[in-house]
Amino acid sequence: MRVGRRAAAVVRALWIVAILAFLYVPIVSVVLASLANTRYMRFPHKVWTLDAYRDALGSFTTWQIHSISLSIAVSVVLIATVLGTLGAVAFARYDWRGRSLFQRILVLPIFFPQPVLGLGLLLSFSAVGLAPSWKTAVIGHLVWIVPIVTLVVSIRFFGYDVAQEEAALDLGASRWQVIREITMPQLWPGVFSGMLFAFLLSWSNLPLSIYTSGPDTPLPVWLFTRTATNYSPLVPSVAVIGTAVSALIVIALALVLAAGKAVRRA
Amino acid sequence: MADAMQDSRPVILSLAGFSKSFGEIQAVDNVSLDISEGEFLTIVGPSGSGKSTLVRLLAGLESPSAGRLLLRGRDITVIPANRRPTAMVFQSLALFDHKSVGENIEFAMKMKGVPPADRKARVHELLRLVRLPESFYARATTQCSGGERQRIALARAFASDPDILFFDEPLSAIDYRLRKALEVEFKDLHQRTGRTFVYITHSLEEAMVMSDRIAIMQAGQIIQIGTPEEIYGKPANRFVAGFLGEVNILEVAGGHFAGLDRPAPANARRYAVLRPEALRPGKGDVTADLTVVQRLMLGSRTQLFLRSPTGAPLISEVAGDAPEFERGTTYSFGFSPDNIAWVDE
Repeated sequence: MRVGRRAAAVVRALWIVAILAFLYVPIVSVVLASLANTRYMRFPHKVWTLDAYRDALGSFTTWQIHSISLSIAVSVVLIATVLGTLGAVAFARYDWRGRSLFQRILVLPIFFPQPVLGLGLLLSFSAVGLAPSWKTAVIGHLVWIVPIVTLVVSIRFFGYDVAQEEAALDLGASRWQVIREITMPQLWPGVFSGMLFAFLLSWSNLPLSIYTSGPDTPLPVWLFTRTATNYSPLVPSVAVIGTAVSALIVIALALVLAAGKAVRRA
Repeated sequence: MADAMQDSRPVILSLAGFSKSFGEIQAVDNVSLDISEGEFLTIVGPSGSGKSTLVRLLAGLESPSAGRLLLRGRDITVIPANRRPTAMVFQSLALFDHKSVGENIEFAMKMKGVPPADRKARVHELLRLVRLPESFYARATTQCSGGERQRIALARAFASDPDILFFDEPLSAIDYRLRKALEVEFKDLHQRTGRTFVYITHSLEEAMVMSDRIAIMQAGQIIQIGTPEEIYGKPANRFVAGFLGEVNILEVAGGHFAGLDRPAPANARRYAVLRPEALRPGKGDVTADLTVVQRLMLGSRTQLFLRSPTGAPLISEVAGDAPEFERGTTYSFGFSPDNIAWVDE
């Protein structure tokens, strides 16, 4: 019995380690690759160096691709959050004629292969005479991300008792007060998750950006082309910097949220 | 139908020809009703009878398809819920789970723009009213027990200082013992505050405990309204009689009680409703030999499921544990026609 229990504990520990390794080995290897001084991905390195980081931080391109990715991601977050929240109201809150059709049509872009979607978007842009740039990339991302944000916010609508809104109304609240006092605070966790999803999905998106960003090169597109054609340790080092930037933004958002909550409590 | 109590008090809420339909479904069908100031009126009906829709119409959460609603003579038919001087305790209670207990209770005052200090003082008063400790002010509603949540919902409704309180089956999801305790508390609170209570439930037993008057609803209509004694003693039809729990309903055919083969009295109507406790072992004006099919101990009394020689099922209730009524034994049972409530349908 005792031996069996210990064996089970060992198996469990091994299993967790295996899962963590599976998830983190790719990331660790990118970090390791960024510390080399050679164009060839060989391991272990003969020389360990931070040269690639010095080059990356000194290069205008690094700043440019980050600023393009950030412009796209911030625009996508703002627009997708508004559209997704309104969409969630239609998706989850009210019963109306055509709702089930809306629910099905809405999720279609998620199931569509992204490279095909990207190509389709490019064709549509040229058909209406829009020159591709980071702005068209925003539109492209939105086509895919708005449905996802809508679904994420909708889940929250199903997660609280909507009779609370009627109760507030019954206790004398106006429509606007109901939204401010009940709907928005109840919906906020879902809206916040939606914002995070929108940001991260936009920040790391390759297949839509490749087709729709034109001469503006966002981070994933730069990483992809440089890996394919002109690889050097600069590529993994920029990847690591990009990951750090997005992680810092997410952490900052979470801190702002926590601070806001603390202020409201006080 | 009008009882003394209703006559002595002014009417607070008057419904005339009230109807509500959802598409093809007529949820509330031409209901007219006067509710008296300070009354505890309970509307009882099975699910789907339209009682919830009716109370939502009264609260202003739905608008009627037809009819008028007068509050102390003023027509409030088109006044929305947030401008009616009424408050509702919801079936789910609908406590704001992102707000503390205190914030829940003071909500109506906050909406009216009452300053925070005054709100807080009033919340403490309301917590005392519903017998909750003042320390609950800062507690999260999610940390409160079922009974505490009921009291919070009550205090929150009282905080708007409503003329009428509506209750939409708030006790339906509560276990038996707590429900019994809260029924008594609701009644007590009604007496202490003197407010008008309109209570919705599917349990006539619950209605009996609390109400001044009971209205029975079926298929969108009020089929009987009266004091608990009137409903119990003179049910309007078999539906109301059956709603009171287990009763004997004997059909009268050809001047005889069908199934018993005994002559019915001259004043007999189509059906005789006989309470189980009125069918007693031993003598009676009408007697029959009945066989015990099943015997159920209910604590202080025992329920006997019986069968007549012709196979008609009957039910009797006797005091104590009645061990002599073993299954399969046959005894003489009797009742007095005075104890029968006659109904036509």
